Amino acid sequence: MIPKHPAAQETSPHVLTRRSLMGSMLVPAAALLLGGCSRALKAGSDGATSDERPLAAKGIEFPEGPGAQLVRADGTRVFRNHKLVDQDGRVAYFQDDLIEGRVFAATFQYAKCNGICGSMTARMAEAYDLLKPIMDKPVQFYAFSLASDAPADMKKFMVDHGIYGRPGWRFFSGSPEAIKDIRWAFGFGDPNEEVDSSLTGHTGMARFGHHKFDKWSACPALANPEQTAIAMVSLFPADQRPQIAGLCRPADIPSTKIPGYVPRAPLRANQL
Amino acid sequence: MSNGFLGQPVNRRTFVQGSALATGAFFINTKFSRSMLADVPTSPFTTPWVQPLAFAPYKIPIPFGQQYSTPINEANFQRFDEFRPQKFYEVNVCETMHRAHPQLAFSPHSSYDGMCPGPTFMMRYGEPVFTRINNCMPSVVQGFGSCDVITHVHNGHHAPESDGGPWDLYNPGCCHDHHWPNIYAGGDELEAKGTLFYHDHCHDFTSQNVYRGMAGFFLLFDHRDSGNENDPNPDAFRLPSGVPDGKRVKNRYDIPLVFADRNYDANGMLTMDLMNMDGILGDKHLVNGRVQPYFEVERRKYRFRLLNSGISRYMDLWLSNGMAFQYLANDGNMITKPLTLQNVKLGVAERGDIVVDFSQLPASTTALYLVNRAEQTNGRGPTGNTLPMNQSHQLLKFIIRPETNVPDNSRVPTTLRALPAMDRPVVAERTWHLTRTNGMWTVNGNLFDQNRCDAACKIGTAEIWNFSTAGGWAHPMHNHCEEPRYLTYNGQPVAGTTHEARKDVHGMWPGESMSVYIKFRDWVGKYPMHCHNLIHEDHAMMVRWDIVP
Repeated sequence: MIPKHPAAQETSPHVLTRRSLMGSMLVPAAALLLGGCSRALKAGSDGATSDERPLAAKGIEFPEGPGAQLVRADGTRVFRNHKLVDQDGRVAYFQDDLIEGRVFAATFQYAKCNGICGSMTARMAEAYDLLKPIMDKPVQFYAFSLASDAPADMKKFMVDHGIYGRPGWRFFSGSPEAIKDIRWAFGFGDPNEEVDSSLTGHTGMARFGHHKFDKWSACPALANPEQTAIAMVSLFPADQRPQIAGLCRPADIPSTKIPGYVPRAPLRANQL
Repeated sequence: MSNGFLGQPVNRRTFVQGSALATGAFFINTKFSRSMLADVPTSPFTTPWVQPLAFAPYKIPIPFGQQYSTPINEANFQRFDEFRPQKFYEVNVCETMHRAHPQLAFSPHSSYDGMCPGPTFMMRYGEPVFTRINNCMPSVVQGFGSCDVITHVHNGHHAPESDGGPWDLYNPGCCHDHHWPNIYAGGDELEAKGTLFYHDHCHDFTSQNVYRGMAGFFLLFDHRDSGNENDPNPDAFRLPSGVPDGKRVKNRYDIPLVFADRNYDANGMLTMDLMNMDGILGDKHLVNGRVQPYFEVERRKYRFRLLNSGISRYMDLWLSNGMAFQYLANDGNMITKPLTLQNVKLGVAERGDIVVDFSQLPASTTALYLVNRAEQTNGRGPTGNTLPMNQSHQLLKFIIRPETNVPDNSRVPTTLRALPAMDRPVVAERTWHLTRTNGMWTVNGNLFDQNRCDAACKIGTAEIWNFSTAGGWAHPMHNHCEEPRYLTYNGQPVAGTTHEARKDVHGMWPGESMSVYIKFRDWVGKYPMHCHNLIHEDHAMMVRWDIVP
């Protein structure tokens, strides 16, 4: 069973939203400022922020609204290049540093969550253990803060959950607009504003991506870690898939090799 | 490169027209905005009714026991000797270039034997077959679609090792064998099925592979639904007969129609919103792989096998003049007696067999349209509203030939198949409550785990299953292997409705519920049950249930 978020069982009519949580987190936010991450972001309603770093290529115009993304002619995907900061105060840019050429799993969490975030992290840690041979290089785990957590809080969360210092696992914070844009870009938005802004009901899904081949899938972060690890490995080309001991699908009948099989090249738009 | 059964030869000129824009003339191919969550890019304009309805050719078998690339391990299959195959099919899953309309571009698709939809399997009860499906995909495809595949015959009464469950996916360069015995479930002739289809079922990537073209018809006949309108057998239904075989369309009156909706980018290339978690709606409506085709019909009876292949759209199908037709089968299963209806509602993967009598039309009627009147604004499900006829989605144009007094020996019998008896002891009653928690699909509060059996059902017994949904979502639930009989629908008796039937897809519209009676026969092993909104399925809206000794 999925653990219920304690706040979801409260009888209080107050719904915990990102905004109300922000109000209770002024002190950590101040600490974040001191930590080097500028929070003075001018945000537009279209999901763009003034803290984006321009992308290298010119002529990119995102559609309006949160979650906008583009697909280049080479089939790779472009998101807004939001400025983020990780648990150690290091600045990173979303498209340049987290997406471009990367293979990753992404979750949305926050440091002071009393609900599913702890369980999600524990399950993802088990998946991490299964994927250890390929973690960091090339696979990355990203957690994005839904509550504009300060680096110190994100670090504490990672320490408390035994994942701090694991190669390839980082916790990122950014402006609320930037995180919303990323969350929507990954498909975890809701047209109902109240539902969308509810922290207690935040998504427990993990998004998997392989940027080079534009491969995308998703499954619950609370799923059996073996399934999460398989979902991660499935993003790789079949002939480059890491062979990891103990990670296998329980097929009824093993498939058999086709004798004399010659691998096919993928078709492209300009090929007939 | 095969162009399947499109019938449009690919030459350098058409290719250049179709692809020049897509080869780098623009930096950006596609833009997605998520502000409305119904955020599909608008496809280019296409002129409707400029191309004829296309049909896949029959899949041709060879006698079982002839050439195999690798030996068959008969021990892998339950009751293999009892239902020893008579025929052998070999299918190649491969990439192909396909375009759904002359004003769109050729796009890479995933296909069975290079066709979209795949070849039509013409099967008969009592003729077991063996099928080998080779994965000839490249090791990676750019963008949506997976190189891994597994083929499931939807509503096939097949043992789990031949069922094509999502956990049986396999890689390029490998093949997978299927033993399809074509037997009545439990040996009961009343369990006969007719209109089935096959599609990819790759775990996490089913929606992408089906969207990319991996589906085709699988039709089953027997001595009653014999596929011969002149059948001298007094038990035969003698429904309009003759399934088109590729370009062999003349004098064929048993017409399979697979509906799909797709999106295309500004260059006319097939595109898919890979980040959509709710469900995907396309703004181009395809019938048998083509956008808004036409079909020339004679003034006589036709049988149409309607299949909504989705991947998220619900349908409420009408003829544009509102004329009534005879409704024969729900999910490919003959009902007890034909119903006279004006519309058929189909959730994703649901089927409906109807007979339309074009001889009833006045001479002045020269064209009709098959339209979808279900209003749906996002992938979560239909609104429940019926679109006015003039705002409906036009899918297919029927051009009515002028000749009258066309010979027609077909008929629609007054009775079809009785429902199978509910003669097995009910040993358990289960509840399947579908909901969403923290953006994750759950069934009875549980996330999917393919290593966990959520219902162990004893072979030879029966159970009552109660389905219910929460929230404003539609979930066409589908269970493999066994198809239940409806007891109640939304708490109401089903007698005299389209739900007085056996069903394999429970196309629950938002808030609906139902109670069904289900038997467990012939095979043991694990099967999935899942939402057939394929986006939901790929995000783990699934349970595993087992038939146990």
